[in-house]
Order: sequence, then structure tokens, then C-alpha cells
Amino acid sequence: MDNLLKGNFSTEKAVVDTDSNEESLEQRFEKEALKKLGGSIAFVAKQEVLWNDEDKSKDD
Amino acid sequence: MSAQNVDDIVKTPAFPSLGMQLVAQMSNITRDRIQDLALENAHNNLAAILNGQSLKALRDIKAGEGDKAIVIAAGPSLKRKKVAEQLLAANYDGAIIATESSMLYCLRQGIIPDLVVTVDPHPTRIVRWFGDPDLSEADLKNDDYFERQDLDTSFSEALRTNDEILELLNKYGQQMRIAVSSSSANTVVTRAHQAGMQVYWWNPMYDDPDQPNSVTRTLLMKNGLPCVNAGGNVGSAAWMMANAVWGKQRIAITGMDLGYYAETPYKNTQYYHEALSLVGEERLDEIYMHIHNPHLDQWFYTDPAYMWYRECFLQMAAHASCQTFNCTEGGILFGDNIHFTNLSDFLTA
Repeated sequence: MDNLLKGNFSTEKAVVDTDSNEESLEQRFEKEALKKLGGSIAFVAKQEVLWNDEDKSKDD
Repeated sequence: MSAQNVDDIVKTPAFPSLGMQLVAQMSNITRDRIQDLALENAHNNLAAILNGQSLKALRDIKAGEGDKAIVIAAGPSLKRKKVAEQLLAANYDGAIIATESSMLYCLRQGIIPDLVVTVDPHPTRIVRWFGDPDLSEADLKNDDYFERQDLDTSFSEALRTNDEILELLNKYGQQMRIAVSSSSANTVVTRAHQAGMQVYWWNPMYDDPDQPNSVTRTLLMKNGLPCVNAGGNVGSAAWMMANAVWGKQRIAITGMDLGYYAETPYKNTQYYHEALSLVGEERLDEIYMHIHNPHLDQWFYTDPAYMWYRECFLQMAAHASCQTFNCTEGGILFGDNIHFTNLSDFLTA
């Protein structure tokens, strides 16, 4: 692409690409809010109790 | 639209609301939020575990007469429906399992539960249910959770209530058993021991222990404690223990609203600040979900975390070997495998 598109003038100041992957302030707020939004502890489907390794008395 | 106008709300929108989209992500959000902290707490608790017993030992201790158990959680219906008064009036003699958040309510009413359960790894909030010996005015300014929340509203009168629960637990702690999760913060562990409570340790499940590289199994190998599926929250963990530890076959849950009465302002909900940060004041209705309870013909509303707890509980109830009676008489926890009934009916059955 650089071989095809060439400018015909030089800019006075270096151009900074603002369309980068940096998070917006809003996205950062959302991420921080999501961090605090979850439950108290995990949930694991179809499991009840695993008493220990020896008896493998998992009740599911 | 305010929380008061729920009668006009369609229960099921044509597309998933933002709230429901968050519910679908809640398992991952929860893991990202708590797992590292919970495992760090578990590591730090290795020495303290030696001062208590394994949850396994509780199986040998009798809890209440018969096959009934009642779980007491701290939802807003607990006081509205006068649960303690009903238990005392009926001379209920089955097992009572309380969440740590309902401990003050129980002790004030003269009820010492057969077991208290705690699981949330939060470093400063959970100890407040036990009375925080180090609570200061500055702490209260930094965190308004207890001032806003609608669980036990007496905690909004913070310092006075803190003194009260400190005193009550110091007085009755030695008569109390507590199932402390290895994920619990040092503040909670220290306070439980300081109050003389009999501590029984357990691990919450983080993933399927049968899967390769399971975090749960690694933890079990490390500390040797039984692993319990806590169902996302302490109330569900208490329900699980009633059956799994003591084999109770008829288990009633009280104070487990998993939602808010329609007249509750949004600012009194547990995740208000987070919801506000996510969508702003004008779009809060997109976060909260309004649900009609057909058993009561009454509307309630809920947030993504409570809605997720509901979904988790319904899944657990579907696989349970016990009968579950929701005697909350309010809230959103109804569905297959749950008998939604009055506490008085459960007590007399």
C-alpha cells in the first residue's frame, strides 16, 4: 500500500494516528464497573460436593 | 421510567436486555472479579485452617430434629415476614442454617443457628456482618454499601450496629458453629476465631474438579478440605450444606428474595454505583429486570447478579436429592423443583 499511496506534500507536524486500539474513557469506566458487578463466588454446573480424593464421593 | 412503574413493564422484551446480556456473562465476570483474591485468601488461610476442623466433621454432629432445615438469608422479606417470630411461635426444632449476613437478625431474636455460613472473599465488607473491631468513620466514608443496601437495614446505622454485633457475637460466639470458606478474608477468619466460634473449613468449587488442571482439585490437594458448589452466593451455599452435610430432605429458604420490592429505589440496590458507571442514570432501566411473581401476583425487580444467582439455584435444585421450599414469600426465586409456599405451611407440615 505504501508503494501505491504517496503524499505530494509534507506535513508541518507529525501526524498521530488517533484511531488506535486504546480504550476510551467510557470503555475504561465500563471495565472497572464490570469488575465489581459479579457474584460472591463461582457456580459450577452439575456439581454438589467433593468430600476428598480418596472416597470420590462426589454427589452429582 | 422509575422502579415504581413496574406494572407497565413487559416481562419478556423482544430482544435480550442489557441486564440479561450481563447475566449471560456473569459467570465469567464473577471469576474475573473474585478468583485470584479467593485463591490468595485460601493460601493465606493455610495456617488458620489448622486451628479449625474440616466441614467433614460436621456430618457427625446432629443438627435439629427430623429431616427439616431452614436457611435464613438476609433479603428484605426476612423482617417483613417476621421469620424469627414464626419460628419461635411454632417451636420449630429442625436445623437452622444462617448466612453471615443474617446473624445479627438471628441473635437479636434470640436464635442461635445450628450453622452460620460465609464464602465471599471481600476484604472489608463481610467482616461487617460479624462486627468489625477496626471500623472507623473513614471506612464508612469510603464505602457506602451498608448505608445503601436493603439487606439488613439496621447496618445503615453503622457504628452503633457494629458495636451491637460485636457484643452479641462476643457473648454467643462460643455457642456457634461456622462453615468458613477457604476463600474468606483474613478479617473474617480472625473475627470468627476471636469470637470463639467453632470453625469448620471448606473450599468453594471454582470449576469442574474432574477437568484437567482443575483449580478446585488443585486446591483440594493443597489444603485437603471438601469442595462445595456454592452456587454463586452464600445463601445457595447454605442450602447446599443442609442437604450435602446433614442430609436434610425438606429444606426451606427464607429471606432469599434475590430481588427488590418494587418500591425500593435503585440507589438502595447492591450494584447501584456499578450500574450507574456502566450506563448512566437515564439508562438504569436497561440494567434492572422486572419480574412478575405469579405465586404472589406481585412485581419485583432484580439486577444481573441476583438474576444469575436465580439461574444457578434453579439448576442446582433440578439436580438436588431434597425438596426445596421457598418460604421467602417475596422475590423472584420460583420455578421448577421449587415449592413456593408460606413459612407457616412449611412449619406445620
